[in-house]
Amino acid sequence: MGLVVTDVSKSFPSGHGIKPVLQNVTFESKDNEFVCVLGHSGCGKSTLLNMIAGFASPDDGFMTVNGEQINGPDQERGVVFQEHALFPWYTVLENIALGPTFQGKSKEESQQIAKKYLALVNLEDAANQYPSQLSGGMKQRVGIARALANEPKILLMDEPFGALDILTRETMRKELLNIWMHLRTMVVFVTHSIAEAVHLADRILVMKQGEIASNIEVHLDRPRDAKHPQFLSLVDELSSILIEEKART
Amino acid sequence: MTVGTNEKLSLKNSKTSPFLTTERKDSLSRMITIAGFFALWQIIGMINAHFEWFNPTFLPTPVDVLGAALHLHDQGVLFTHIWSSTWRLGVGFILGVVIAVVLAFLIAKVKFVQNALEPLINVIGPIPPFALLPIFIIWMGVGELSKLTLITYATAIPMIAYTVDGIRNVNPLLVRSALSLGANQWQVFKSVILPSALPPIFVGMRVTLAISFSAMVVAEMIGAFSGLGYLIIDSRNFFQMDNMFLAAALIGVLYSIFALILSFIEKRLFKWRQGTQMNDAISK
Repeated sequence: MGLVVTDVSKSFPSGHGIKPVLQNVTFESKDNEFVCVLGHSGCGKSTLLNMIAGFASPDDGFMTVNGEQINGPDQERGVVFQEHALFPWYTVLENIALGPTFQGKSKEESQQIAKKYLALVNLEDAANQYPSQLSGGMKQRVGIARALANEPKILLMDEPFGALDILTRETMRKELLNIWMHLRTMVVFVTHSIAEAVHLADRILVMKQGEIASNIEVHLDRPRDAKHPQFLSLVDELSSILIEEKART
Repeated sequence: MTVGTNEKLSLKNSKTSPFLTTERKDSLSRMITIAGFFALWQIIGMINAHFEWFNPTFLPTPVDVLGAALHLHDQGVLFTHIWSSTWRLGVGFILGVVIAVVLAFLIAKVKFVQNALEPLINVIGPIPPFALLPIFIIWMGVGELSKLTLITYATAIPMIAYTVDGIRNVNPLLVRSALSLGANQWQVFKSVILPSALPPIFVGMRVTLAISFSAMVVAEMIGAFSGLGYLIIDSRNFFQMDNMFLAAALIGVLYSIFALILSFIEKRLFKWRQGTQMNDAISK
């Protein structure tokens, strides 16, 4: 069943009038699929993600996960924020154990789960440090581990690597892909980087001014080679869609 | 996945020996300042006693004050006074903080409480609490109740403002983050709102402690039969300057002890803030 978004619209009040942010957005994605939402800043991609997360509700339309209507935040939809949003008063391990604890698991069990996911993101050494002691890349890995510790059906990622430097960004992308190949959770990944989207996605949703301009399935084998002709032609195709938009605005 | 070895450099080395020596130097120079102050006071007092520039009774020396302490101790009343003040302040302050924190959470959470309480606090809050003491005494008598009420009230009014401010400044992203991890309302409160409101609550407690002390002294000056504030008024009636200095000094010591306890609790509670404050901007 997966995630089904049907005719979703959303607008926000701005100045005197109201500004439409999303218009008739419709798409479906299967379980195990890696979906990238690609677009310029302000195209509504983060709003879409926030609505899937349950932080906002659509003005019109429906959103369902496995046939159930989305109604507020829920542990089945884990979120990784661009600003990592770790709890500064908890250690790395406590941050990751928090989800299982909220689910009513015992302290020991939660810690066991946390340790497992800490190992998955290669951060065992930092278990007892506080977030303020970590680098940007490490914080983001803790954020991913924390979201995964709840074993969500969907992992929502809002430009998770947007605040990282280009080198860290690339290694994080590879690590995320490894983790995803291992777990095969559905991922909805918001980004403005074309290369990132082509590297990661099974399906790319290109967003233009609040609408889905293009819904492309990617069938390249992983790990993907950025010099492969099919990779390059897809990058060309995507950038022509996005730059066309830029010319119009 | 062999990435991030460089990033794993932790801050394990932040407590090495050079820090300790500068800390020791700091505390040494502080002690010299304090010792110097008392020495100077003693010398001026002694010179004055010798040349009688003004009546030496007006300026007892530190030694005289110590003598007064011994005398009061012999009479068996010194610790009675200290203890009266300590427990009044302790009970009044803690009660004030607890009431303020509970009220503040209700104000921040429940619209109805906010609408009912905030205007009242805005109207009554600006009145200096000491102005209300005679009214409290008429209502509740000269016993402990009126004194505790004054201290509690003087503590609670400013604490409410600090706590409400702390709660309103909670990062909404952290609340979202907790909600999408499946937290219920109580868990959001316990894991997000309370820990992020605690630092401003402690700032409030440190500031308010001084107000609570003033309230304690004032309450003991009117209609009391024990306590350090009473000691000052009682000694004034008999022109015992040394006792008055002693009481003032003891109030200072008591304040320092309470402040020390607060900062000790703060250090234990806010380990996570290490490396996030101004002094950590540059380390040598």
